[in-house]
Amino acid sequence: MSEAEITTNTGDSPNDLVENGLNKLVVKCKYCGSKILDKKLGKYILQEKELPLMQQDTRKEGEIQNEKVNQFYHVENMFTFDNIGFTHTVDCYKYLSCADCDAGPVGYYDMNSKHSYVALSRIEHA
Amino acid sequence: MAKKTYDLLFKLLLIGDSGVGKTCILFRFSDNHFTTTFISTIGIDFKIKTVELRGKKIKLQIWDTAGQERFHTITTSYYRGAMGIMLVYDISNEKTFDDIVKWLRNIDEHANEDVEKMILGNKCDMEEKRVVSKERGEAIAREHGIRFMETSAKSNINIDRAFSELAEAILDKSAGREADADHARIAVERRPSRAPPARACCS
Repeated sequence: MSEAEITTNTGDSPNDLVENGLNKLVVKCKYCGSKILDKKLGKYILQEKELPLMQQDTRKEGEIQNEKVNQFYHVENMFTFDNIGFTHTVDCYKYLSCADCDAGPVGYYDMNSKHSYVALSRIEHA
Repeated sequence: MAKKTYDLLFKLLLIGDSGVGKTCILFRFSDNHFTTTFISTIGIDFKIKTVELRGKKIKLQIWDTAGQERFHTITTSYYRGAMGIMLVYDISNEKTFDDIVKWLRNIDEHANEDVEKMILGNKCDMEEKRVVSKERGEAIAREHGIRFMETSAKSNINIDRAFSELAEAILDKSAGREADADHARIAVERRPSRAPPARACCS
């Protein structure tokens, strides 16, 4: 994962999803609907990060395809999550996955800060 | 300040020979599930699951051995803080069942002595390849005073139930401990009034 500048500017947060800087709705898995995070427990932040794609092109062997992701819910304590999986560590990060169907990465966990970040584009709001 | 979103936190471990399906219990590879190549390549270290038991919100943190068992290097550090252990064998593999006794010894040596255990006979969807009868599984569990269940990670049989039962057993135990602690405190508080007046007996 490549580092990018971190901004905590929440000025242009999506109003239908974010209220008082927190997730207004329950965060669920896009694929199986498993509950990942309850409402108002993730802090909306903007930061540019590269995340591996959820569906990798298997024809490109040994090459991980990433995409840039900007919007995240920041969760300080991992036990705040309802259901979540943590992968083994890769370069100081663990990737987050759905605890029920293993879809992911839905975000990442920073081994240094011990904070988790869930990508808004990788989950469903309900 | 962040508010606490749960009442209790239980750390649970999966133990057993390699190939019995521990990783599948944690990481459900199956046809109807969406599994990305990326996540399956890296592998799952642990999961956090939330269950509600008797009105209490309980977070389970479930760990896999990550293949340590292959090198017999499961030691105190892996067991540290564990409150529950799922001891898994494969009903289609005799040796994995025989090794349950070895694993029980390993747990006795390294884990907290009051850790709650449960034996799982996994792969119960493979009836045609079964070599360990359910009765033998029940017998060994009875012998050691442990709960027992047959499961199939592949067909998703009894997996959630097994975790809820183990969590419930830990909850029962911790409730007992709380009561004991209260009892002990009361006893200590009462002691001074009951104690005979101090007197010098060997002046």
